[in-house]
Amino acid sequence: MTVCSLGFIWYFDQKAVYVVIGLTLFTYFIAYWMEKGKHAGLAHTIGVLGLLAVLIIFKYLGFLTGTINSLLSFLHALPVFHFEELALPLGISYITFKYISYLTDIRWKIVSGGKLLDFACYGSLFTIFVAGPIERFERLKPQLEAKSEKFKPEYLEIAFQRIVYGLAKKLILADWLGYFINPVWQNPTNYSALIRIAALFGYSFQIYFDFAGYSDIAIGSSRLFGLKIMENFNKPYLAPNISQFWRRWHISLSDWIRDYLFFPLSQGKTNQFWLIFCVPVISMGLCGLWHGAAWHYVIWGIWHGVGISILQCWNLFKRAHKKKIAFVSKPWFKYCSTALTFVYVTAGWWWFR
Amino acid sequence: MEEKLIDFIKHEFVTDADVEITPETKLISSGLIDSFSLVSLQSFIKKEFGKMIPAPKITVESFDTVRQMVDIINQF
Repeated sequence: MTVCSLGFIWYFDQKAVYVVIGLTLFTYFIAYWMEKGKHAGLAHTIGVLGLLAVLIIFKYLGFLTGTINSLLSFLHALPVFHFEELALPLGISYITFKYISYLTDIRWKIVSGGKLLDFACYGSLFTIFVAGPIERFERLKPQLEAKSEKFKPEYLEIAFQRIVYGLAKKLILADWLGYFINPVWQNPTNYSALIRIAALFGYSFQIYFDFAGYSDIAIGSSRLFGLKIMENFNKPYLAPNISQFWRRWHISLSDWIRDYLFFPLSQGKTNQFWLIFCVPVISMGLCGLWHGAAWHYVIWGIWHGVGISILQCWNLFKRAHKKKIAFVSKPWFKYCSTALTFVYVTAGWWWFR
Repeated sequence: MEEKLIDFIKHEFVTDADVEITPETKLISSGLIDSFSLVSLQSFIKKEFGKMIPAPKITVESFDTVRQMVDIINQF
């Protein structure tokens, strides 16, 4: 399976194979150091910083130098930096996040390092390599170790059904929506405000069907090999609030952000401004930056962070006035809340696109 | 342990005064408590029971009810 996965990556991006092998050996060595050595904390820090350094060099160096140069342009006396941008290796964002979770879970004693071949399979697994889900080693390890697990005919039915659902979402719904809305996005000034708003809502559904369809294909393809991959979407546009939305949209990424950013940034802190405003905005801003090296992704993330902060303030208000605002448990309020969440998320897609 | 957790959850997180919390009440999947509440809950468990539950273990699958919380706390 590992060889097949590396062959798949080689077919699309030869350089990515070297990056995957290098990152896999580096991360596995760090994990070994953490488990057998005396300085697990130091090893973990070196491992995470090393992985982030690779991600920054390949993905964000051009973005960072561009931003710094823009700031320096105000001060004409200072020299500007020039770096040659490196081509982005396939799947680099996903594999670095998977490997950071692997090291951190070992640090937290949630999982052991496992065998090198199983770990290499986890990192390179072609069905989820390009666009997730960002599966955890803890969930995949028992499946990779279960040598007695044999192929069963029913896997085919489950897998193909899932792949067909995914293809339908992607090729019929997402592409069909794209056919109608892309001309509006390409030349927005040629259309009225109403049409542009309709195109924004259209994009909201297009991106959902596109990404959820891809996740269905990834999950279905993995099932063909007897592997159960985590779900990545769960009716996100029916979420009653922005917090619930992120528990239903790109679940593997939002879980990652929650576990390795949101919780660590919040632990032991008592400052309400930090907890209610800074933590969600920083976490979601970085979540936005992960999607792409551009400011509009960061703004999209901050948009969601601010939404989560507003929700948190509202929850505090509700807790302080339990009896005065009994209407919040009425069905009509929940419908309105769901609609408002959908509109807020859709407005955020304007930044994203 | 169950009673302490229920008291804390009811006092700190539940906005509807009429909601009954039992050891089997679904808390995360029903939307009764959110991510922020889980951070507070993690801190409460550390302070009250001296156990630090790692964030990846605080999931809807394994931390949805008070009974599940007690099981996880006992594992650490």
